[in-house]
Amino acid sequence: MLDRLLILSVFVVASCGLAYELIAGALASYLLGDSILQFSSIIGAYLFAMGIGSHLSQYVKDEDSLARFIDIELLVGLIGGLAALALFLVFSWLAAPFRTVLYALVLIIGTLVGMEIPLVMRVLNQRQAEFRELVSRVLTFDYLGALAVSLLFPLVLAPKLGLARAGLLFGICNVGVAIWTAYAFRRELPGLRAQLTRAFVVLALLVAGFAVADRLVQWSEKGLFGDEIVHAETTPYQRLVITRWHDDLRLHINGNLQFSSRDEFRYHEALVHPLMATLPWAKRVLVLGGGDGLAARELLKYKQIESVTLVDLDPAMTTLFATAPALTALNQGALKNPRVHVVNDDAGRWLENHDQVYDAVIVDFPDPSNFALGKLYSVPFYRLLKRHVAEHGAIVVQSTSPYFAPRSFWCIDATLKDAGFHTWPYHTYVPSFGEWGFIIAGAQPGYAPPERIPVPTRYLNPAAIRLMFDFPPDMQPPPGIQPNRLNTQSLVHYFEQDWRNVQR
Amino acid sequence: MKRRVFLQAGLAAGLAAGLPGCRFDGRSLFRPDIRIARPGMDTGHALRDRRALPPPGQPVSGEIRTEVAILGSGIAGLTAGWRLAREGFGDFVLVTGPEPFGNAAASRFGDVPCPTGAHYLPLPTAASIHVRTLLSEMKLADDAFAAAPDYDESALVHAPESRLWINGRWQEGVQPHHGIPPSEIAEQQRFYAYTESLKHHLGRDGRRLFEIPLALSSRDAEWRALDAENFAHWLARNGYTAPSLLWYLDYCCRDDFGTGLAHTSAWAGLHYFASRTGRARNGDDAAVLTWADGLNTPARHLLAAVTPQRTLAGSVVRVRERRDHVEALVWQNGRLIRIRARCAVIAMPLFVAGRVVEGLAGDGFDPSIHTPEHAPWLVANFAMDHFPSEKTGETLAWDNVVYQGKGLGYVVATHQLIRAARPERTVFTAYHALADGEPRDVRRWLAGASADELYDLAASDLAEVYGWKLARNAGAVEITLRGHAMPSPRPGFLGNAGTQALAAADGRLLFAHSDLSGYSVFEEAAWWGWRAAGRLLGT
Repeated sequence: MLDRLLILSVFVVASCGLAYELIAGALASYLLGDSILQFSSIIGAYLFAMGIGSHLSQYVKDEDSLARFIDIELLVGLIGGLAALALFLVFSWLAAPFRTVLYALVLIIGTLVGMEIPLVMRVLNQRQAEFRELVSRVLTFDYLGALAVSLLFPLVLAPKLGLARAGLLFGICNVGVAIWTAYAFRRELPGLRAQLTRAFVVLALLVAGFAVADRLVQWSEKGLFGDEIVHAETTPYQRLVITRWHDDLRLHINGNLQFSSRDEFRYHEALVHPLMATLPWAKRVLVLGGGDGLAARELLKYKQIESVTLVDLDPAMTTLFATAPALTALNQGALKNPRVHVVNDDAGRWLENHDQVYDAVIVDFPDPSNFALGKLYSVPFYRLLKRHVAEHGAIVVQSTSPYFAPRSFWCIDATLKDAGFHTWPYHTYVPSFGEWGFIIAGAQPGYAPPERIPVPTRYLNPAAIRLMFDFPPDMQPPPGIQPNRLNTQSLVHYFEQDWRNVQR
Repeated sequence: MKRRVFLQAGLAAGLAAGLPGCRFDGRSLFRPDIRIARPGMDTGHALRDRRALPPPGQPVSGEIRTEVAILGSGIAGLTAGWRLAREGFGDFVLVTGPEPFGNAAASRFGDVPCPTGAHYLPLPTAASIHVRTLLSEMKLADDAFAAAPDYDESALVHAPESRLWINGRWQEGVQPHHGIPPSEIAEQQRFYAYTESLKHHLGRDGRRLFEIPLALSSRDAEWRALDAENFAHWLARNGYTAPSLLWYLDYCCRDDFGTGLAHTSAWAGLHYFASRTGRARNGDDAAVLTWADGLNTPARHLLAAVTPQRTLAGSVVRVRERRDHVEALVWQNGRLIRIRARCAVIAMPLFVAGRVVEGLAGDGFDPSIHTPEHAPWLVANFAMDHFPSEKTGETLAWDNVVYQGKGLGYVVATHQLIRAARPERTVFTAYHALADGEPRDVRRWLAGASADELYDLAASDLAEVYGWKLARNAGAVEITLRGHAMPSPRPGFLGNAGTQALAAADGRLLFAHSDLSGYSVFEEAAWWGWRAAGRLLGT
């Protein structure tokens, strides 16, 4: 009877063992992309770790093998059960060491799982089972368990419970095996009481984890993705994630929302038309950033524009937006348009190494959230840019939110002025971003909002543009704002303070 | 590629180590390629030993006649040539010496240039007309002679400027404050307030007590008496005992003088803190000007004015003053060339001039007594295949220093780039002033040390910060050994009659070198070059 119980626990243990492997693989391909690589390397590492576990099992003394088996079940249950949840939290809060944590967990769990079967076989062996029969029965149930979970996991558990809760469920199973075994062999175990206490503590932890897992994962994951991921890619420069919810496509770079297809036209029309509608003679336009091709799409509406040079760092980004059907539908194939020349280079380096002059420049960089990006909003950078702007040309700069980050917004304005530009700040409402700001800057004074927009728009008309240049009392420039000098990088400090005030 | 081969070889060796009977030093498995440069050492030793240079019986294979021979291409010599050229005086020849640019030399890994010597220039004082003229010409400053000029921000050091690794974490700035008790902070502030008050203090002769160039400082005997005392003693006498303050001051002395507090003149120590009054309209007072390859950028600007036609590669092996001219013998790749000049600017370090220039004693400089002690330095450029990962939330600064570390920290060569993404590769330049022990003993150690020993020393700060990640990210390291890197202003240096005599020399031989100031910074070296050229031009 007891032996049969052990054989049954082999079935459960084997299921759980494979489950952790599948969860780690799925999680890695879900979060890191490139599923073939993730699955292969995780299965490899896991099997290797199981080998280590099998090797280590020889150091367990014969008389301890049952007690250690129970301890190992508890450990596997605890670590394996919480692994998926922990990885979600690590990924969303500490992006850098994610891989390290992932593989460390895989190795630890694999090592522990690798000790299970050898120990069970030794326990059975001590109980004078026939060796031939023993091996055959243990391995049969081992493989049966694997089959069961390999079907159950993708068809039922992952979709119904999600990865984190599925992991916790298997952890509970492991602890169940431990408790069950301890109870069944209670006469042979010296430290039964302590072992059972430990087991129930672990069980309580896992059950509690199961109860809150959904909320925790939602909380960690929603910040990043929220919806179904249709494309995930980690490039040498950034992590691109595209999500879809009904007809809403969203691009996230390093977890920050870049656009939502529902309202991006508001952002891109506001970025392009207040400037371009006043430059009917503009023939050559430069776009810095904007690898999604959406600003280029707006520019291409102007028939007089002969060429749009788009400088974006990441070839993966421009390739994606030039080829993926859902995305080319959104940017109307702008990146494949013969008038658009895509350059994959660092905007700073490219400006230093080229001397072409443009009639208009659209500057659509990520927000100045660190010292490196802050340099793209500095006095020397704008001076450099100025050398690429025609005498009567102008630039427009995406300038963060004048409502949420007022000091940052007005710091960019002060920086442009210090670099010798005349500036015309404006703002508009983009539902997925909130109130957002832009600054038109020109070497010559005398910008006036356009009387008409010569191209079709969904959002803007001349009256709406005129309103954008009005800053109501709660968005007035704060006093004492310093321009962003490279020696001090005031903008990065302002940006950090501004958003710290906004975020809870 | 090299690194991969190296790692494969290392891996094979590592496997071999697992076999019984095979011995293998596991340390070198994770060590980058090491290259060691000893600029000027062979030539210097050949001169010292008086056997090899000039080779006995070597015929002179060419003669150059010129008005002025500038002998040396460090900042002093280059500034002299630049000023002559800029003021329309073209008849001169500049001999480079064994290491062009001297302490302003540079190296390069792929497309990343990096310094093998000094790396920054503080904002010039009002008295540093020579530096301001240069910065104006380089278009680095608008209105360069204003009280607070508008500097080119791409050359002003970018934020974050510096950080200190202290008690296992980074703090902003190099002056220690993280985990330092308030009493020590108060003592630090007392010291800075005192030196700040000295900045605009005038001596009885109406000059600033501590000026840059140093030669323009007040001669007020009361203050110059501080030169008799060492800085450690002065600090103790004035109640400065806080370990964090003493560490920082010692760090500064090693950084600028190559000596610790106990071997630095108290006058020089105060000069460090009370002389810098330069300001910028668009930067902090403490801001400095810097370039990826350090001071090689201004040095190349100076050299461009000298022009290649007026530059002669080679080492001066003998200078003789004749009745109506100066004769200099130049050793150039197996040839001996004679320069016959009306005047010569001796722009080489004095421990070399003492071997090369005949009859210096007649000018009042006895090489055996008056040559200032030179401190040995090690500059190591680590070519990083990737940026090592920083602790979460930490940003690499331009200058990264380890509290109570062996070295002076490391500088990031790509810090000043304006880029949307940081470059894939960079170079970390780690500096070490070898201030422990007598310079002579340290030089002997440097001469005999193995590549592994030098690497361990060079990497000490980086290893403390990055641990094993350093080896994973550094593909190669170039270690530059400067046995006589800079003169140290030891107690009594102001009273050196020999250097004073050379500074005053106004005959066919003029002297220009930071050794005349007694410590080695760009402004001092440039000032002597500027002044020598001024004398030649009659201004």
